[in-house]
Amino acid sequence: MALQRTKALPLAHLRSAGGGICCMRRWAHRTHLAGWLLALAAGACRSSADRRSTPDGSGALSVVDDAGRAVVLAAPARRIVSLAPSITELLFAIGAGDRVVGRTTWCKYPPAATAVPSVGDGLDPNVEAIAAQRPDLVVLYRSALTESATGRLAALGIPTLVLRHDRLLDVGRTARLLGRLTGQSSAGDSLARLIDSTLAVPPPATIPRPRLAFVVWDNPPMTIGGGSFLDELVGLAGGENVFHDIRSASATVSLETIAVRDPDWILILTDSAPGPPAWSTRAEWRVVRAARARHFLYLPAELFGQPSPRTPEAVATLRRLLEAAR
Amino acid sequence: MKWLALVGGLVAVLLAAVVLGPAAVPLRELTHSPIVWQLRVPRALLGLLVGGSLGVAGASLQSLVRNPLADPFLLGLSGGAGLGAVTAIALHLPGSWALPLAAFVGALGALGLVFRLGLVGGAELDPRILLLGGVAVGAFCAAVTTAIVSLAEASELRNAFLWLWGGLSGASWDTVRVLLVYLPLPLLVLFGAARPLDLLVLGEEQARHLGADVAVVKRRVYLAASFLTAAAVATAGVVGFVGLIVPHLARSLWGGRHRSLLPASFLAGGALLVAADTLARVAVAPRELPVGVVTALVGVPLFVLLLRRWTAY
Repeated sequence: MALQRTKALPLAHLRSAGGGICCMRRWAHRTHLAGWLLALAAGACRSSADRRSTPDGSGALSVVDDAGRAVVLAAPARRIVSLAPSITELLFAIGAGDRVVGRTTWCKYPPAATAVPSVGDGLDPNVEAIAAQRPDLVVLYRSALTESATGRLAALGIPTLVLRHDRLLDVGRTARLLGRLTGQSSAGDSLARLIDSTLAVPPPATIPRPRLAFVVWDNPPMTIGGGSFLDELVGLAGGENVFHDIRSASATVSLETIAVRDPDWILILTDSAPGPPAWSTRAEWRVVRAARARHFLYLPAELFGQPSPRTPEAVATLRRLLEAAR
Repeated sequence: MKWLALVGGLVAVLLAAVVLGPAAVPLRELTHSPIVWQLRVPRALLGLLVGGSLGVAGASLQSLVRNPLADPFLLGLSGGAGLGAVTAIALHLPGSWALPLAAFVGALGALGLVFRLGLVGGAELDPRILLLGGVAVGAFCAAVTTAIVSLAEASELRNAFLWLWGGLSGASWDTVRVLLVYLPLPLLVLFGAARPLDLLVLGEEQARHLGADVAVVKRRVYLAASFLTAAAVATAGVVGFVGLIVPHLARSLWGGRHRSLLPASFLAGGALLVAADTLARVAVAPRELPVGVVTALVGVPLFVLLLRRWTAY
């Protein structure tokens, strides 16, 4: 029975790695979805949102969110509660930071965001704490847990915007949507153009490309697959994720698979000071060449934990790390 | 004949575990490939030791509490181990052995608590109180663990559950060596208690009339089985179903005599876990399934067949 009780904890609680709770939710969510499916969905959402988001004669703003719902505001949002770190960061980036009246405990960037009152961890939204901020827009990350909160907020007459924020393409798309609803369309659009142009720049043509693997947990070994934005970041920085063929965002793999795929470098997301992880001294990891040679690259989780407006910075950081590592 | 089949089967699954894997290793390189020698062989041995320990612990506990539902993890040990692991991560305890050690200490803490609860009625362990106490302590530990995970900010905490869910990926010659030193004592204690356990199954009153020192046997069996389980959970997490199903399978083939039931449970438990782990590594390569999923997928249908046979009598 104790066993069952342990296992009854929602899987969403289990899939994390250095990247904070949103990272975790994202992974939990995307594990079952193939990457291309998401990309397609993102594309479809963008086109429908663009089509319907022009303000009509009454000055009302209307967009279609990632749950397929029409979100209509009579005027640009003035009091926004953001329930995901990536959304908070985007709102500040498009100049709507002063309208954020609620955030999650995980929203630490930009530093100004920490001055905003927290409404909880955002994983299972605390509707009462949110309503207490008297928001005129609540932005939620799309997941099964936020689904019911959306309904309860709607019953209180609070408009909600549900966004999927999993891939790098989502950053520009959501920047445009948030720009429209906050009356910061031009800032949102220019941020989106900046991000999308970064995505369009071909990676440095170094031959051979450095072969990389993320190790986000050691026992059982968990890695990042092609379904994650981290895989996209590696590609943009001119590297090759040796687990690109795994379609989900993250996956448990055997140690011997890592040994055989033989990455040149192991990427580690970390909140704390960079340093070889404790597991790297364990005997079984010595079979992996990069672990034996202590070929670890440390990525600050705060920058790499989620797709964010600082994607160009993340790409540049990773590029620098890879150049220094050659 | 039955023994020959069991040992043959065990050797076959051990061989398969060494030969098969997500990485293709040519047969002639088998003996000097580091993948085989440093990963697959210790992993197969760890599977044998952990599966065997769980089989023996389950068989003895089922006889001790005279309840076919008893499982090595029923007595609160998994909750204690989880609490230990989460505490180690939350406190940032350094070193590569911190996590398994903390889990082991947590399991022992739960063990001690349940043991003390089991003695509330006097000097004799009460099986009913052991069961209830185990469930209560396990639930309490799980609640504290969940509270720590949801309140603490360390995002790695969530991974403690991944670890606890079980798997043999932490296998190395070091873990195998540690277990080879640790396991013989509790195993010998249980094998040595085979005769009194036979009597205990008849009922405590009858066992006492037949000359068994019931109070001592109960304590010895409970502690030895729990120490086996604590080592298993510290090295491989909570591997479900092995300790529940294997004893029943062994009992249906070898009967209730513990002199053969316990060794058979060891070999069958080891074989089941090694086979399940091989499947977990190979079935969805390059990904890997949690081994507990496979033990359930393999074990439960066997168990259902068994139940049908029982009810047919």
